[in-house]
Amino acid sequence: MLVSPHSHKQDLNGVTVNPSRTARLAKVVALSSSIALLAAGCASGDSKDAAQPASADNPVTLTITTFGTQGLDPLYKQYEADNPGITIEATNIDTGGNALTDWKTKQAAGAGLPDVQAVEEGWLGQVMTVSDSFTDLNEYGAKDIAGDWVDWKVQQATDADGRTIGYGTDIGPMGLCYNSKLFKAAGLPSDREQVAELFGGADSTWDDFFSVGEDYVKKSDKAFYDQSGFVWNAMVNQLDEGYYKADGSLNIEGNTALRERWDQLSAAASKGLSSAQTQWDWGKGQAFVDGSFAVMPCPGWMLGNVKGQVEGAGGDASDGWDFADVFPGGAANWGGAFLTVPSTSKHPAEAAKLAQYLTNATSQATSFEEAGAFPSNIEAQKSKAVTGENDLTKFFNGAPIGEILSNRAEGVKAQYKGADDSVIQEQVFGPATIAIDKGTDGDTAWNTALSTLQELEIK
Amino acid sequence: MSRPKLRAEKPSTPTPERLQEAKAERKMRRQHLRGRLDFKYSPYLYISPFFILFALVGLFPLIYTFVVSINDWDLLGGAGDWVGLKNYQAELASPLFWNSLFNTFSIFLLSAIPQLVVATFIAAMLDQNIRAKTFWRMSVLVPYVVTPVAVTLIFSTAFDEKYGLINNLLGALNLDTIAWKTDVFPSHMAIATMVNWRWTGYNALILLAAMQAVPRELHESAAIDGAGMIRRFFSITLPSIRPTMIFVIITATIGGLQIFTEPKLFNPSSSVPGGPDRQYQTTVLYLWDLAFNRGDFGRASAVAWMLFLIIIVIGVINFLISGTIASSSDKRRPRRIPGRKAKRVKAHLSGSLRESVNDE
Repeated sequence: MLVSPHSHKQDLNGVTVNPSRTARLAKVVALSSSIALLAAGCASGDSKDAAQPASADNPVTLTITTFGTQGLDPLYKQYEADNPGITIEATNIDTGGNALTDWKTKQAAGAGLPDVQAVEEGWLGQVMTVSDSFTDLNEYGAKDIAGDWVDWKVQQATDADGRTIGYGTDIGPMGLCYNSKLFKAAGLPSDREQVAELFGGADSTWDDFFSVGEDYVKKSDKAFYDQSGFVWNAMVNQLDEGYYKADGSLNIEGNTALRERWDQLSAAASKGLSSAQTQWDWGKGQAFVDGSFAVMPCPGWMLGNVKGQVEGAGGDASDGWDFADVFPGGAANWGGAFLTVPSTSKHPAEAAKLAQYLTNATSQATSFEEAGAFPSNIEAQKSKAVTGENDLTKFFNGAPIGEILSNRAEGVKAQYKGADDSVIQEQVFGPATIAIDKGTDGDTAWNTALSTLQELEIK
Repeated sequence: MSRPKLRAEKPSTPTPERLQEAKAERKMRRQHLRGRLDFKYSPYLYISPFFILFALVGLFPLIYTFVVSINDWDLLGGAGDWVGLKNYQAELASPLFWNSLFNTFSIFLLSAIPQLVVATFIAAMLDQNIRAKTFWRMSVLVPYVVTPVAVTLIFSTAFDEKYGLINNLLGALNLDTIAWKTDVFPSHMAIATMVNWRWTGYNALILLAAMQAVPRELHESAAIDGAGMIRRFFSITLPSIRPTMIFVIITATIGGLQIFTEPKLFNPSSSVPGGPDRQYQTTVLYLWDLAFNRGDFGRASAVAWMLFLIIIVIGVINFLISGTIASSSDKRRPRRIPGRKAKRVKAHLSGSLRESVNDE
């Protein structure tokens, strides 16, 4: 569960919303406004007030639940100012994992869901099993603006019946974080473009990646990447079909493409390429500054994490981390979120309008500035806020991060995610990647994974 | 009883005084009745808030959990088919369930036994005549005041395999480092350490209170009879605090079998709660994982009920043991007092009294 990207974004900018006092105030506001709403309803004698557009005479309170740092806070005020009568009551949950638990409990109870609910890509598979409990945004004009987003983002949020249940916020196109100092010390090229070429440029393969790794290990006597879990997730995510076939059936046993990649990875781990770090911990950032490893697969949102880890361990830009415009095995995406409107919302039209506003080009550019969430909106990707200089580009040795990530977002395919996709990733292959990092051979780890799959009775 | 009397008076002509008298009497009787009702039933009224609350947040969830456990219940999808006891069957056949039980009991034993031994020792020390009593007593309680989450964060950092304090110290001493978060036994040890750190002082204080209730005369006379400190501890202190000991054991058992926070946060970034290979996944952690990660509400409820039954069984065993101890001490007491020893003590006491009178 903690593999979800947003769960660790909160270290990034330290933006947290303390709900206690504001929530009480908001409750008062909500209560008074709903009384006002009731009064207005009685006065006009119109029982369909909820369907009327909100105005100063017809105030509407919209609740929204987000998680991590999605950089939406300044947008709420703007929207309230632009739309008289709208009050936004926002709840931000610290991590993606906790947000998932929150959503699941409320979904299971059938009550308490907000008007706008942020959903993370990692749990989209589970959300899609109950996609009919979300409003089809096509009824509110999603179809007309579908072209604003990268196509695969829209596909991810569209179910088998063609209902689009979410507007895309950020995405996590993947590039390679590398440490230029360590590369230089090992006698490898350290310049960003040369490093991209070293890994095979536009046609980079995992063979290229691992052979550079072997070379590095030989020359430096250090591990190459931090741990096998993230590499494996990227390898699986970029396949046409991952743990599930597009028809929804399980696709692990006898999946030769998957097994081939597993053998590549376990061979690399056995040759000492992996530093066997604890993911999301990295010795509280120590491993980023003590030369334990030199490369890490980085989705856009991970860059903030890398910066946070390095700084947490007392390091800074001079530690040499950089970001290369290359990724082995083709384009890959990890993470990103959507804004959905649960069908329990009493103001679906207003909620859909808010979700649309929060994900339009200007809003996404603001979110990027605010929290580093890389936009899924094509126009926002090209905006100055995204392509220009910021704290992150300074940390990563002046790398044009916005530009690189836009390039990396090209060619990503929306892979079908089954209901138990996250359980398989975390509970079946999570332990298996740890095992190969600690010296178990690939065959044994794979077989253990298959028996775990059976123990968990995943079908 | 009083009714026939009233009826007998009715035929006589009602004078205003009589009417008033009857009225007053009726009033008194009503008050009396109210008093009796008050006396009889108000205690139930006063304790009812607890039971109403208990019914709402204790009993209802308990029954509802049982209903869920006999259905094929998906967390998101809701109630499915009625499956009877199939969820229980499936769990009893699941190696993961047994693994979680093993971990729970292993951690429980590793924490409860050293904890009680050390707590008794600390209590015995605090029971001695030492300086700054309050300071020492407060000090042992400090770990209990710290929230378990903070305790776990500190300990999980100290027990980190690569960067942790403990492995660094072991490395500095040229000893092999220990895989605290990977190997089964070391991880149980580490978690038991956190539990012990938090609960030892608390238990020590409870035992200390019991020890202070032991009559000092017993110790004094034993000392006069030549019993050493250790002998007195085992022959006087321990037997006297046995009921408190039983209480401490029962609460430690209930708490130990429900352990969740420590294993959950021991390695918070682990993708599988309770370690990659479920090395320290306790039963509560397992049922949480089952319900909220794997979404199988029915099976999770079955596990919850089985854990409930296990705790009841262990509670009953504890109760029986404590019952035999209480009855055996009851039996012993009457025998002791009229015994020869007691007479000798009495004679001794009266003798010394006489002596002291003579001295004056």
